Amino acid sequence: MSLKFYRRVAFGLSPNDKPDKDPLNWALNQLDTIPNLLWPGIIPTEKELRKKYGEWVYGDREVLRKKFKNDKHAYKKAKDELRIKTGEKYFELNEHAIRHYQTKYSKQPVFERFWLFWGNHFAISEKDFLAEFSTGPYQREIIRPNMVKTFEEMVQSVTTSWCMIHHLDNSESFGPNSKKGMEWGETINENHARELLELHTVSPNAGYTQEDVIQLAYIMTGWAHKWDRKNLETGDIWFDQEMHQKGDKIVLGVKYKNDAKRELAKVIHDLATHPICIKFVSTKLCRHFITDEPTEDMIYPVIEAWNKSNGSLIEIHKAVITQAYKHNENTHKFHPPEIWLMQLSKMFDLNIPLSSEKMNYSFSSKPNRRQRQLSWILREIGHSPYRAKQPNGWSDFEVDWVSPELLLRRFWFSSVELPILVKSGNRSHDFILACLKNNFEDHENMASLIENFRFGTLDFDLGQKYGVICNLPGVLKV
Amino acid sequence: MNCTRRNFLIGGSTTLFLSGYFPKISFASMQKKNLIIISLRGGMDGLTAVPVIGDKRLKKLRKKLILEDVLNLNSDFGLHPKLEIFHKLWQTNQAAFVHATNIPYTGRSHFDGQNLMETGAHIPYKEKTGWLGRGLLASNIIGKGLAISLPMPLLLRGVPQNNNFFPSPDFVETKLIDQIYNEFKGEHNELIKSTLDTIRQRPLSMQIATDSDDRKKLALEAAKQLKDKSGPRVAVFDLDGFDTHAAQGGVDGAHADELEEVNKIVTILHENLGQAFDNTLILTLTEFGRTIKQNGGYGTEHGYGSAILMAGGLLKKSQVYTDWPGLKKKELFEGRDLNSTIDSRAVYNSAMSVCFNQDPEFLRKEVFWGDELPDLSQDLFKI
Repeated sequence: MSLKFYRRVAFGLSPNDKPDKDPLNWALNQLDTIPNLLWPGIIPTEKELRKKYGEWVYGDREVLRKKFKNDKHAYKKAKDELRIKTGEKYFELNEHAIRHYQTKYSKQPVFERFWLFWGNHFAISEKDFLAEFSTGPYQREIIRPNMVKTFEEMVQSVTTSWCMIHHLDNSESFGPNSKKGMEWGETINENHARELLELHTVSPNAGYTQEDVIQLAYIMTGWAHKWDRKNLETGDIWFDQEMHQKGDKIVLGVKYKNDAKRELAKVIHDLATHPICIKFVSTKLCRHFITDEPTEDMIYPVIEAWNKSNGSLIEIHKAVITQAYKHNENTHKFHPPEIWLMQLSKMFDLNIPLSSEKMNYSFSSKPNRRQRQLSWILREIGHSPYRAKQPNGWSDFEVDWVSPELLLRRFWFSSVELPILVKSGNRSHDFILACLKNNFEDHENMASLIENFRFGTLDFDLGQKYGVICNLPGVLKV
Repeated sequence: MNCTRRNFLIGGSTTLFLSGYFPKISFASMQKKNLIIISLRGGMDGLTAVPVIGDKRLKKLRKKLILEDVLNLNSDFGLHPKLEIFHKLWQTNQAAFVHATNIPYTGRSHFDGQNLMETGAHIPYKEKTGWLGRGLLASNIIGKGLAISLPMPLLLRGVPQNNNFFPSPDFVETKLIDQIYNEFKGEHNELIKSTLDTIRQRPLSMQIATDSDDRKKLALEAAKQLKDKSGPRVAVFDLDGFDTHAAQGGVDGAHADELEEVNKIVTILHENLGQAFDNTLILTLTEFGRTIKQNGGYGTEHGYGSAILMAGGLLKKSQVYTDWPGLKKKELFEGRDLNSTIDSRAVYNSAMSVCFNQDPEFLRKEVFWGDELPDLSQDLFKI
């Protein structure tokens, strides 16, 4: 078994790790439990951060805009102060640190890879201030705990989470024959219903129609944030009967009787156990871990595990890993920039993320350069994880990650920025050779490519070495 | 504005649906023609960019978004004061507008809409290539696409060897590529290898470090490349921020700021393309327009019909080309949005036919699956 398995399903081996005698079991044993978050710094709850979000939007929209409506410059200044006070520029940086600390130090790195996968399957794209206040805690509190439950339970949690409801506008969706819909002349917003079908469960392969989208939107009406004057849209999610469309609904040929809030659980059950959903999601899992175009013989065992276990994510994950192991030698998978960065950080023990002490924030001035560093790098290499452009998340296809500039950004990071992140005790050539040996069968060939720089230990020399190493085909992909 | 649907096609000819294609191969210019697309993500408000003059209903519904000091275009339409360059070029027949137009998409979702504005298709996410990429491929123009963005935009995909320009903050030593190039073996490394080829063949000027947030510098470099006779023939810019649900503003404000960005890019292109501007078409692209009525936040909601801003020496004349649907409630799309009476893909198909010296009929079939798109090249462009 080649060492690339550790990068295919995890983040490679750190200088202190040794390859396991039984890599498959090593990986399978990581999936039964949810590892604790290891970040020693602050890990705010979703609710705390939503409160901050509320302070930010209320302060900006209800107070400052009115107060400074005729003075653009005074408004900007007051708004910047509010940003600092509410941590608007800080919390996303902290979330990136929590995430990267976890992928670097977790004893269950394979679990963490699935965590990244599901957070991206149920992606929250860049909208309003979700990346600043909400997407990180959503990943921690909604995605993570569901990873040892069933897919159906995951969909239920995601669909009724504040973050997803806000992201896909379900609070603005009114049943046209509901009490409020009639009074206010409002109607549905199809956004969330469409994505629940298209992205989260059955995919367009199920052949649903516009009418199916409308009917599902009817079922979802009423699931909204509780609005009040002070919290605006940051109130808890509840079911508002007065927004809910009355009457029976039909989605994909199945009739759902008028049953208020219980309708949603029923339709999610049917969608999450639909054979086309199972195939769609199994294919995506195989694509993520095995290859861009997985074959039937890779996907089928995952579907089988899904059906046998009634959608237990633990069993599904194990089936995916088993297939990834089986096809490790004969398939290739390109890694998007964030996973590449996580692997470099682990394999070469780079100085990211910043220590939790240094990430501490006083809410009295802008976060400093070092605190912004990791998020800045992620942005520069083109993969800021909580800012996908669209609700379908970041792509898992190589073609979306290969452009001249995207490759140049990797050269830039590895040759210019990475040397600054090398720990002082790790600057020797021998250290690099040891890391290569630990992670790559063809380490000797790799070493030969940087032999010319072996005696240099300046940042420039390190830049030359890492610029070559990090962009080799065996590092960009497995 | 007094015009109704009966004032058919203001400033245009009546050939909208009666197009006849005159083969232009015989007099096709051998000169290089450039096509530049500026994507305006978020939903550009056509009624802010190119407002109708004197429409009482619009004034009533947009009390807080009223534009003063509108630049004059003709008796029916004005121009947002931030779009100065278009006004200047209008005087010399080098700026024009298509109004009440959109891709055939009414779903009001940004993501689906943007996907469709790039693929030119009817079902979101179904197609994996962009209409511009397919147009280049069908015209056998390879390696001549330049994206001014970090990823390769979907719009340009479908043709190999596109370049992009969005430099990192520091100088990148591309000599490193020489040391690893031969390591990329086998079919599965082909895409990366050909992209490394593209990088190695880039002019040195593209290897500079610059602040990619500075759109001015990016536009300047794009102009330089496009001017080069052997350089790119197509460039794609990407702007976002047009989704102004709140504080949209009038002469100043969020939407005005974005229009100013468009103005900057076109100004730089005009100033720096020199004579090449005469052989250039610049067109904007957006996923939808915005509602007629202002909302509670003095912004507007997602709508349908919008406008295409056009500049360049390949325009036929200055005009607002439209089949104006009117702004009375019953004339609006679903009672709330400016309607779209021209499929914007017809404009893009015609623009490609002019710039790529291709039969629009051929492109329509190759690029847009034979969808019914009238040839507008005689009305809009120099052929």
